[in-house]
Amino acid sequence: MAVADQLELQLQHGTIIAGKWKGGRYRIERLLGEGANGKVYLVESRGRRYALKVGADAVDLQSEINGLQALARQGTPREEPFLVEVDDFRDGRGHEYPFYVMRYVRGKPLADYIAKEGPEWVPLIGYHLLMRLAALHEAGWVFGDLKPDNVLVAEYGRAQLVDYGGVTAIGSGVRQFTEVFDRGYWSAGSRTADPQYDLFSFAVLFIQLVEGKRLDELTRTLLPHSRVPAELLRLAEDHPVLAPARGWLRRALQGEFGSAREAAASWQRELHRARVARPAGSGPRWLGGLFVASALLLATTIFWLVR
Amino acid sequence: MKQILLITDGCSNVGVSPVVAAAHAQSEGVAVNVVGVLDEGDIGEYGAAEIREIAAAGGGLSRLVNTRELSRTVQMMTRKTVMHTIQSAVHNELRHVLGEGSIEALPPEKRSDVVRVMDELGEKAELRVALLIDASASMKPKLQAVEEAIKDLMLSLQARQGKSRICVFHFPGSRHGEDCRRLLDWTDKMSEIPSLFAKLHMQGTTPTGPALMQVIDFYREDDYGRETREERMG
Repeated sequence: MAVADQLELQLQHGTIIAGKWKGGRYRIERLLGEGANGKVYLVESRGRRYALKVGADAVDLQSEINGLQALARQGTPREEPFLVEVDDFRDGRGHEYPFYVMRYVRGKPLADYIAKEGPEWVPLIGYHLLMRLAALHEAGWVFGDLKPDNVLVAEYGRAQLVDYGGVTAIGSGVRQFTEVFDRGYWSAGSRTADPQYDLFSFAVLFIQLVEGKRLDELTRTLLPHSRVPAELLRLAEDHPVLAPARGWLRRALQGEFGSAREAAASWQRELHRARVARPAGSGPRWLGGLFVASALLLATTIFWLVR
Repeated sequence: MKQILLITDGCSNVGVSPVVAAAHAQSEGVAVNVVGVLDEGDIGEYGAAEIREIAAAGGGLSRLVNTRELSRTVQMMTRKTVMHTIQSAVHNELRHVLGEGSIEALPPEKRSDVVRVMDELGEKAELRVALLIDASASMKPKLQAVEEAIKDLMLSLQARQGKSRICVFHFPGSRHGEDCRRLLDWTDKMSEIPSLFAKLHMQGTTPTGPALMQVIDFYREDDYGRETREERMG
């Protein structure tokens, strides 16, 4: 028996995926992304769009699905179910692959969203993300592999978590992580899944969003024994966006928040204060112009009325 | 669960074939993983093939990486091999019960139950990893990264719920004619790892096969010691 490796399968636009057990039929539209356990495609079935994840290894994918199912059982009933179907299919060469179908989350990757809509969305996106983590933690799970690739942002900064391959029961060893966002990599604690693990990754993610280049340089030049949270905090010094959040970042990096909910509340307070402290700029110039125009219009109306 | 993790950068050139040695390991329930560390140098077609064959014979994984990827690779391989060992055992069980030997043959609902049990075993089973480090001259600039990878592995193992220990061997040994030497006995403590290779005297030959045989022996003695201890206790 061979150990399964990277998924080499490539599905072309228009390919029909037919479920072996449940008989569902899904037409491939395009590749959405690639995670550690497989590839995610946008598919269409009976006029609706879904995201479909194909795995290389039935066990790896199934254990990811188990996490999702446990989450679904604890999920809020008003939300549409995230996990739609679990099945296998056979490709043209007779090779079988496991797959699961989930709700299609429309959104942009985090970095793209910020690049397009501007950094002023960061505090709100961060808040949404922290609340998502809080819900996950309160259900007994840790996300694990938190990084920009695993966050999609829908309209008005509504952040969603995607790729649940790293989801780990609290108390177990984190199943999947990415070095730069890993607490152990920065000598800041264990790899045991706890809410603070995700909050640490969140802090690095935040720094990476704003200071990606300098963070990259840091990881390239620092020797392993000097990879410590203090180095991450140094990036926040004197930075227009990060400096106001320094206190928050320090607490997240040192594992001082009791829960994601507490961290979210503190995030709101600190980043709000930062916004208030920003020099009060005048509104957009066109608004001023509009005001002048409407005042003129009003004056004209009154002139005609009283004439 | 027992694993050997071999980290090397070249071909064996002394003694018994490492592929034969790895097959021995597997027959005794020890899985052998192999990492080839490249960096500037080229490991050569022959070296790459040997690494692949050792892992195949040892029922483990093989990878060719540069030092920057070493920690990540070692961590991932160890974890995957734990799951693989459990999977093989489960396959055997399934064959007994169902006459069919694979998890893939189960419908998704049943698969879900089986995988849940496997995940729990993977998290809780006792695990021992013997690291076998190539200390031939060309490895010298890479030993710092090897040490970091060992520390990183320890960090991941400490996060497991089951008891996990590592030990470290290097080959060739420090004395002339010595195939292999133990640097660190079974431990689960991070504090015992630092500057493992500081005083290591690097030599020329690469007795990969004989070194593997010695580590298998070490496992055998450890298990024997444990059995006799248990007998005395009982």
